[in-house]
Amino acid sequence: MDIALERLSSMLMDMAVLSEKSVSTSIEAYGKGDSQMEEIRAWSEELRMLQEDVSELAVDIIARFQPLASDLRFIRAAMEIAYGFSRFGRYAYDIAEVLEMWGDLSKCDHSMVEITAKTTKEMIRMSIDAFSNRDVELAKNVKKLDDFVDEKYREHVDMMIHDPKKDVTCAMSTALILRYLERISDHSSYIGDSVIYIVTGEKAPRK
Amino acid sequence: MCDEELTMMQERLKEGNMMTSEVNVLGNTIAGKSVGISIRNLDVYYHNLHVLKSVSLEIEPNRITVFMGPSGCGKTTLVRVLNRMNDGVQGFRHTGGVLLDGKDVYDKDVDPVLLKTRVGMVFQKPNPFPISIYDNVAFGPRIHKLNRSKEDLNNIVRDSLQRAALWEEVKDRLKENAMSLSGGQQQRLCIARTLAVHPEVILLDEPASALDPGSTAKIEELMVELRRNYTVVLVTHNMQQAARVGNKVVFLYKGDIVETGEAPGLFEKPSKELTEKYIRGQLI
Repeated sequence: MDIALERLSSMLMDMAVLSEKSVSTSIEAYGKGDSQMEEIRAWSEELRMLQEDVSELAVDIIARFQPLASDLRFIRAAMEIAYGFSRFGRYAYDIAEVLEMWGDLSKCDHSMVEITAKTTKEMIRMSIDAFSNRDVELAKNVKKLDDFVDEKYREHVDMMIHDPKKDVTCAMSTALILRYLERISDHSSYIGDSVIYIVTGEKAPRK
Repeated sequence: MCDEELTMMQERLKEGNMMTSEVNVLGNTIAGKSVGISIRNLDVYYHNLHVLKSVSLEIEPNRITVFMGPSGCGKTTLVRVLNRMNDGVQGFRHTGGVLLDGKDVYDKDVDPVLLKTRVGMVFQKPNPFPISIYDNVAFGPRIHKLNRSKEDLNNIVRDSLQRAALWEEVKDRLKENAMSLSGGQQQRLCIARTLAVHPEVILLDEPASALDPGSTAKIEELMVELRRNYTVVLVTHNMQQAARVGNKVVFLYKGDIVETGEAPGLFEKPSKELTEKYIRGQLI
């Protein structure tokens, strides 16, 4: 079973690396005005397949070895974490799709996206490190950054509602991207919750 | 029990009412009420070998309490203490209390033979007597004179086999030798034999370890059903079984209780490192 659990861990780390690259690339592409759609789409697809592979392996381990205690918690969390990484890939693709849909966004003010994306990328990195090192404190710190990202999204939506003179294309595209960044941040938090659960057995309270 | 009470109970038995929370001629509570066991600072020795160390534990009624731990941890000794099965073991001695419904089972006025009707035991290897299915179940009631008539005895046998989920499979062949039954059926027959003397507590020492998966599943279903009317204590090496059927789990290691907890939560999140190691198969 140890070999199988190592394999599961390794698959998750592969997903971590790929999903982090997907999100970074999509944000850079937005900044440069070059969507890199095909590449990001391929990575998203690959992450989805890896998520299924993780689920298959997890079920296989449960059927064969009937794991308990921290092994069982890890397997349960592994399926949730794999889902999180696959969502990173999906939202990275969604961000790239915004450029495809809306065309040239170079005239738009990118500052809100840039500042939010910086925090989101930091949250991704922290959640991956927390998982890799089973670091409970780092996992808790990921969650603390979530409120900042949520706030930026709400700020922008608020601005859109109260300032109708703003360019619609810029306002809408920024709103969509901030929304996707907000969802990526949420999933980073959930990965943090999973790390805490693996190590301590404590589950995050339901919201 | 005084003569007047005994006569009253025997009259009730004549009426064939076996299912009320009454007391039979052995002083056992008839199905409807089970009792708890309180173990207090129990130390057990075989000669100089200190096998159980200051064990204190509550075994609650109408629950399945599981004892688990590696070989040699003392779980079988502990379960056998509950009905004085260790009395005949050379060098056995103990200190501390084992209270069945508030009365220490090791008190001088406790009859160990009658105790074993109150606290019945089912063993790892099915051990039916090489006589008919009917006579296996009727054996206990006959020697303890629990029946007033043949009809009473028939009712006891049928009721016990029903409670052991075996009646439908054997009702048409009660005169057949018990050795003709499959392993799983033999084990359920042993359970029926235990139930026939209306115990309050049922001890099961790895009852399914010698059985195939299908028979094991039936025994597990039966254990869950039995706890509705009895106090059940289970010894098992099979942690998944403990998680499936157990209510309270007691983990022992080298004669000490390391951890107690509720199933299945303890199997997801044990609080002691030793328990975690054992559950993950890292402790021999």
